[in-house]
Parts: sequence; C-alpha cells; structure tokens
Amino acid sequence: MKKAISLLLAALMCVLFLSGCQGATITPENPQETQPAEPQKPADNEPEKGPVEIMVVTSYGGDDGNRANYEAAFRAYEAASGNIVKDASATSNEEWKARVMTDFQTGSEPDVLFYFNGVDSNALIEGGKVVSIDEIRAEYPEYASNMKDGMLGASPVDGKNYSVPVNGYWEGLYVNLKVLKDCGVAVPGPDYTWEQFLADCETIKSKGYTPIACSLQEVPHYWFEFCIYNHGSAANHGQLPETSSDEVGQKWAAGLNDIKTLYEKGYFPVNTLTATDPETFQLMADNQAAFAIDGSWKIGWFQANAADINDFTVVFVPGMGDRAATDIIGGLSMGYYITRKAWDDPVKREACVEFVMAMTTDEVVSTFGATAVTALKNGTTPPAETDALINAALAMTKGATGVVGAVQDSLNPNARGEMFSQIKNIVTGAVTAEEVIDSVLAIK
Amino acid sequence: MNSTIYKRKFPLIIFLVPAFLFMAVFLYYPFIMNIINSISNISDLGAPANGMNQPWYQNYIRMFEDPLMATAVKNTLILMGATIVFQVGTALLLALLVDRIRKGSQFFRTVYFFPIVISATALGLLFNLVFLYNGGMLNQLRAAFGAAQYIDWKGEAHFMFTMLAPVMWQYVGFYFVIIVTGLNNISTEVYEAAELDGACCLKRVRYITLPLLRNVLCTCLVLAVTGALKVFDLPWVMMGAGIPMDKSWLTGTYMYNQTFLRHDVDYSSAIAIVIVVLGVVISKIANTVFKEKDY
Amino acid sequence: MKFENFDSRSKWKISRIMAYSVLAVWAFTTVYPFFWVIINSFRVRGEIRSDSFSIPWPWTDSFTLDNYTTAFERSDIFNAYANSLVISACVTLTVVILAGFAAYGMVRYRFKAQKLLYSVVIASMMFPVFSTIIPVFRMEFAWGIANTGKVPLSLLSVILPQIAGNLSFSIIVLMGFIRSLPVELEESAFLDGCSIFKIYFKIVLPVAKPSFATIAIFTFLWSYNDLFTQMFFLRYRDEHTVTMLLNEISSQAGVNYGLMAAAVVLVVVPVLIVYVCLQKNIIKGMTAGAIKG
Repeated sequence: MKKAISLLLAALMCVLFLSGCQGATITPENPQETQPAEPQKPADNEPEKGPVEIMVVTSYGGDDGNRANYEAAFRAYEAASGNIVKDASATSNEEWKARVMTDFQTGSEPDVLFYFNGVDSNALIEGGKVVSIDEIRAEYPEYASNMKDGMLGASPVDGKNYSVPVNGYWEGLYVNLKVLKDCGVAVPGPDYTWEQFLADCETIKSKGYTPIACSLQEVPHYWFEFCIYNHGSAANHGQLPETSSDEVGQKWAAGLNDIKTLYEKGYFPVNTLTATDPETFQLMADNQAAFAIDGSWKIGWFQANAADINDFTVVFVPGMGDRAATDIIGGLSMGYYITRKAWDDPVKREACVEFVMAMTTDEVVSTFGATAVTALKNGTTPPAETDALINAALAMTKGATGVVGAVQDSLNPNARGEMFSQIKNIVTGAVTAEEVIDSVLAIK
Repeated sequence: MNSTIYKRKFPLIIFLVPAFLFMAVFLYYPFIMNIINSISNISDLGAPANGMNQPWYQNYIRMFEDPLMATAVKNTLILMGATIVFQVGTALLLALLVDRIRKGSQFFRTVYFFPIVISATALGLLFNLVFLYNGGMLNQLRAAFGAAQYIDWKGEAHFMFTMLAPVMWQYVGFYFVIIVTGLNNISTEVYEAAELDGACCLKRVRYITLPLLRNVLCTCLVLAVTGALKVFDLPWVMMGAGIPMDKSWLTGTYMYNQTFLRHDVDYSSAIAIVIVVLGVVISKIANTVFKEKDY
Repeated sequence: MKFENFDSRSKWKISRIMAYSVLAVWAFTTVYPFFWVIINSFRVRGEIRSDSFSIPWPWTDSFTLDNYTTAFERSDIFNAYANSLVISACVTLTVVILAGFAAYGMVRYRFKAQKLLYSVVIASMMFPVFSTIIPVFRMEFAWGIANTGKVPLSLLSVILPQIAGNLSFSIIVLMGFIRSLPVELEESAFLDGCSIFKIYFKIVLPVAKPSFATIAIFTFLWSYNDLFTQMFFLRYRDEHTVTMLLNEISSQAGVNYGLMAAAVVLVVVPVLIVYVCLQKNIIKGMTAGAIKG
C-alpha cells in the first residue's frame, strides 16, 4: 500500500508540475504574434551542406490508389538529392481539408502541399500563403516547364497559376456488359443520345434489372453534373447562375428535372433515397445494375470487386442538344504548392523546388493513373500493364472532343452541400428545382 | 456531509484546482472561443472572423427556423428517453441478475463489455450487413420464412428502430459496468442483515438495493442525458446524412455535418452551444425529479 | 440458506434458471458480433457478403491468414501499439488521479461555488470535440507542442486535451460512487489522527477501488479509440496509433471486409487485456471493501 501511495504521489507531483507549467504558458492568447519571426532565422549565409528536411502534405495517403506511386517517387527524390521528405499525407476528405486550412491559419503549414486548385484554395491565395509559379520561375525558369501553362489550373481568385498538377481526372459512364447483353441492349457509342439512353433504361427495367446504380441521397453529384451539362455545352458549362430565372439557372433547373424524370420512371434502385453509395454500387459488381456515372478514381474499385473485369467498360455519358456525348467532364483539380513560409526559408527554397520538379516529371506523372487528360506537353505514356477497363478509359479520354471542369467545384462547400442534400427533395416533389437553386445561391 | 472533519477548507484547493485547471484550459477556453464564433461571421473552417454577424444573434434565429434542427432535437429527445428506459433499464436488470448469481458472473461481466470495445466503424459495418436491403441478414431471414418482399430498414417506416437498436445495444454494457461497480460498493453485511430479516428477492431489491444505488442511478441518468446529445459515430456510420429524407438527424450528427461538410463554422458553433444548454437544463430537471422521488 | 424452507428453495431455483437464461441471451448478443468479426478475419476475400455467417474452418478453402499478413506488411504495427499505449496510459493515470481528487472534494466538502462547479462539470461533458479542437490546436501550436514533427511532443499534444475531455465524465461517475460511501469510516480515521490526505489515500481510495478501476477502463478505452483527436494532432507515420492504422487499413481495404475484420481484431486485443486486468482489480476491490465496510 505504501508503495502505491508513494507512486501516486509521485505521479501527482508530475501532474501538478505539468499543470503549473501550463498555467504559466497560457498567456500567448493570440498565437499569430509569435509565428512569423521564427522560420526565417536559420543560417542566411550557408544555405548548402547537409540534408534538408522538407515537410510535405499530400492527399496520396490512406486509401489513395496512387499512394504506392507517390511513395516510390518521393523515395527516388530522397535518394537522388540526399534530402529528407517528412511526409504527412492523408486521405482527402473534409476533415483533411479542415486540418490543412487550420495549419495555414495557425502558421504550422507544411513546406510543400498537394491540394485542390479550385475554390477550396481561395483562402491560401488570398492570404498570400503560397507562392505563384511566375515568382518561382523568376528564379528557377525550368519550373513546371514540361506542362502547358493553360492547363495548370489557375486560381479562381486572380487567374494566376500557383500549383503544378499531376494526374488529371475524368468522369464517364461505367457499363455492366453482362447486363446489357442479357437485355439485348447495345453498348453505348460516341454518338449515343439521351433518348436512346431513356429507351435502353426502359428495356433494362422491364427485364428486371436496375438501369442506374446511384444513391441519390448520398452521391447524386455525377448525375447533377451531366444532366446540367446536357442543357448547355462545353463552352458555357462552367457558368454559375445568378438566379433560377436567368439563362444558366433555367439550364440548371432543366437538368435537375431530368434527374426527377429518371427517378419517377423508376430507373434508380428502389432504395436510392435510403441506400448508401457503396450499397448501390455493389449492384454493379453483382450484375444487377447496368449503368453508373463515376470518376477515374473508381477504376480501382472495379479492379478489386469485379468477378471479371472484362464484363465492364467505361463510355461517354449520353449527350443532348449542344453537348455531344464526347464532351466530357475532366481536368486537373489538384496540384503541388510551395508555401510562402518554405520559399522565404533560404535553406528549404531550393529543396522544395527540386522536390516539386522531381514529382512532376513526365515519367512520374505517367505512372499516376490511366488518363489522357494531362497538362504534360508531351502527353502521358500509357502504362505497361493494362486491362480492358483501363484501355476503355484511355480510348475514351483520347476521343474526347471537349473537356471541362465540374461546375459544382465552383460552388462553396456549404452551397454544394445544400444542393446535393436537396436533390432527394426535388425528385420526390417536396420542393421545385427553382426553389433549391435560389436557396443554394443565397448561401454566402 | 456535514462532518466536522471537512470544515477546514484548505485541502479543497489541492483537490479541485488541478482538474478544474485542465478543464478551464482545454475545454472552457476553446468553448468561449466557440461562443464568440457563434456570433461572428466566419467564411471557412479555421478562417478568422470577418466581424460580427448582423444581428449578432442571427444564427440562433436561423436555428429556430431550421426544420432539420427541429428534427435533430426531436430525435435526440427520443434517443434520450430510449436510453434511459432501455439502456439503463436493461443494464440495471442485468446487473441485479449478475449480482445474485455466483457461477459465471465473471464471464458475464467480461462479455457484456465487448460491444463498447469494438470501434464504431466495425460495428457500423456489422449492422449495415444486418440491415442491408439487398441480402442483409434480416431480409434473408424474412425471405427464409416466406416473406415476398424485402423491407427497407432504413426507409421511413423503420429508420428509428434501425438507428436506435444498435446504439441501445452498444451502450448497455457501459451502464452495466457502472451499476455493477455501484453494487460492489454496497457492503455484503447489509444484505446479510436483510436476509436475517427475511427480506428476499424483489423486496430486497426494492427496499435495499435500489435506495442504496440511487446515487449511481442518478449518475447514469446524467450520463444518459448528456450521452444522447453527443451520440455521433454509430448513427453517422449507419444513417449518414439523415437517411431517410433528412428524418434521422441527431444533434451530434447535425453539428458535425454543419462543421466539416458544410464548413458553416459560426452556425455549427451556435448548435454546439444549444447542445450544451439543452444538456444542462435537461439533466438539472431530471436530477430534481429523480431526487424528489422517495423510496 | 439454511433459514429457508423447501418451498422457497425450489422457487429460488426457478428464478435462478430464469436469471441465467436472461443473462445468457444478452451474452449471446454481445459475444456473437465479436465472434463474427474474428471468423471473418480468417475468411478469404470476397466471401463475406455472400456467406458471412458460416465458420471458415482451417481445412476448407475459405480459410486464410492473408488478412493478418497484409495488415502486418502494410504498417509498422508495433510502433503504433507503443504510441497508443503511451497515450492511453498517461491519459488514464492522470485522469484517475485528478478526477478522484476533484470528486472527493466535490462530494465531501460544502462550499459556496459547489453547485456552480457541478454545472461546470456537467456542461463540459457536452462540449463537442468538433468545436473545441481547432482552438486547442492553435493554443498547443503556440506553446510549441503541436505539429512539431517530434514524436514525444506530438503524443503530449494528444494527451493533454484527452485528459481534459475524460475528466468531466470521470468526476461525475466518481462523485456518484463516493457519495454512496459511509462517511463514518472517514470520521473514525480522523479521530485516530489521520490528515485529510491520509484519509483519502488510506480509506477512500481502497474502498472505492472498483469505482476507480471502472473509470480507468472507460478512460483508457475512449482515449484509445478517439480517432478524431488523434488524426488531428498526429500527422507523421512514426506518430500513428493503432486506431489510426485500423482506419487507414479499412479505408484502403474498400470492401475488403476480411482485412478490415483482421484490423479490428488487432486493435481490440490490447483493450481486452487491459479490461481483464482491471476487472480482477474490481473483484479484489470488492472483497477489500467488504472487509473494511
């Protein structure tokens, strides 16, 4: 017992000591004051010698399909340069974005960041937290010289380039060939129209299959994007409406009502309003559903879950009006940023520039995913190991006549969230498309 | 506790200061920031405020007009009631039963704890397989008994059961452990004396165990109230964003959604404050009601 | 028992059988999911959804150890165990000491701000971690302990908020227990000339040992499973905890439920060990309490 008591007392002392320390250190209530001075200090006159440690944050952690490619690439950089990469990559989700933004706000940002280049990055550019490519090129003219400047993904804030992209994304219509064959429906080609699509859905439904695998309550994003696209064209798809009654607003309303029609005709799974996305997508692997729109990142899912990958292919999403089916959604939504903090640090500046250049060479970019959507001047070289789905994806992106970014990325996160959570109410008729568009546009 | 030995107040400082210091620094300081946030205009997560809201109580008005917030509060109150009746009730029953058996009580104590140990992600996966529409365990069982149609367990008719059952089940073990510990604190002499007096079974429970457990049950009540307001992980994994049709929101999931998915920091801060106020008020009421009841 | 006649004895027996059956039914519901996770961690890929309720016997084709080898290959699991244990042990120890003190003071003393302090504790129990985490991060970064890239400091930056987060719950629970203890014991000790602290350590602590073990196990568990705080403060690979690995493996696994089940088993095992250890303590405390009481 004595022993236990003395142990407890000792622990108590530690704790009291500890809490005492905190009492003393609470004072810096506004942390910003202390930050800016620190990082600049280290050794102005001897920038060389010894390995440099750079902190890197990317979204290539966790379950990202390119994680192995990313790790191999930065290990190669470490070996070549002798520098050390301190990697804090994670899976990209809302919490990750929150952490990244908090880091910048508190001054604990990394040296190099791989992040979105759309509205998500606005705070970084507005706050002067990252360095523009022009500024870097003034000192390192070769920086990102293997990329087409027009495709780097300019900031929505000032139209300047800040980030260097790697792999592009695309969105397309995944098809279950087995179901189509059983229903006697032909595989959609490049001139496939919306009317044909509706007719095919009817046939598929009458055979007892689910035409479209989609969870409208969770991920209506892709159908939203393409249904709106179908009422415009590659030239004007990126515009946001001012109100539901202007031209763009009418386009959006028509697109949303197309989703409603699909729902009313019963082309979505019976429980599309209560099922999760993985649940409805499982219908594709189980050969119970025919079509699903999704992005390039979904290829890995099919490779892992399809009984036979040859039963699946990816084609253009059916088109309507001015939008040919071959006009696709795609682009380069993320890229490498060098932070102001690292750039102002003479020890780290060169290491960061070298790192980004090493991570965006033609060879490295080509290892990241099957796509012909790229900013590389020379294009990507197709991967050595392919399967039916990858070949279909390459063929599709090569045959694209127009590539535009997703318009939903221009909405702020709050408005975007509101839009997608209201789609279930639109399709059931609880609210009209116009009402939703206006309430979404009213958000900040 | 009017005992004379506790008249000298000096040791109290040493007892209370460290714990409350921790709470002040890591809970109250951030929470005060949260109160300020709730009346400020903040554009994004982690971003500094651009001045105050106009008017400053804007978010609180919005909350009263927000039908989803009303749903969340309503569901949370239902969850609270269910927690008190089913979780604490079941836990009390099981604890009393375990307390009176000799053989195997150790076994039951251990296994009743299992559900709390398994993380919410894993439990969510498990229950999703149970309630799955297409080939889930329940629907397969129904089909085996000749039911022609699948039941959509997450549909409007059944969602409350689907959401509550796993939460109820998971936390029975939590209250069980607390009540069993309370029972352990009752000295066996009391029981022996009671047995000599011929008090048995139900009478013993009614007149000896329950009154002696009152403090612990009071604690459970407070925990049930506060716990229900905070419940997050299992409903989030299973019901996501208010499946079906925004009907299953809870205050915990709604606040998370507003913070991390909508980035509506000031509004979610206001929700956090309402959660705390609700919790304090309800647990105060519950405490008064419960204390007045005499055994 | 010798005071009871035969009739009440047979009644006793029936009620006992009923008690056991109720207990057994509940035990089944709690054991089965655990059992389900374990059997599926040995099942070959892709069979879980079609056939998750049978047992993959080692001699059938359904059995595999691959899930475990993959889990070990993908991550430095021993380092993660070490990090998790350091965090949870520090949090648990500090919480038990501080919460015990605070609860004892709150229950036994009468003072002006008592009711207010009680409300302060209850209110703090409901502060959602989602809304306090960003200010805490800022504060800790200003102190130079958060996001430094140094493992011990990073662990400390998780430990501190977790201590605060578990204190209120522990104080509430301990208050309930300590209130039930007869104050006479303490009074007689006081008459024997013990100081207040001696009374606390010699009388209250041993008698309330099961209660302390109870809050210890919950604190340990919540600290261990608190993915959200850990994700926010621990960024680099060498700082990762077991729970973070589970999350990483399960999100990498996609629908590879077998791998996910294996990861769950790996995460749960240490907690069960801690629980079984502390449980023995609960029983011991019970007998000790009985003798003294």
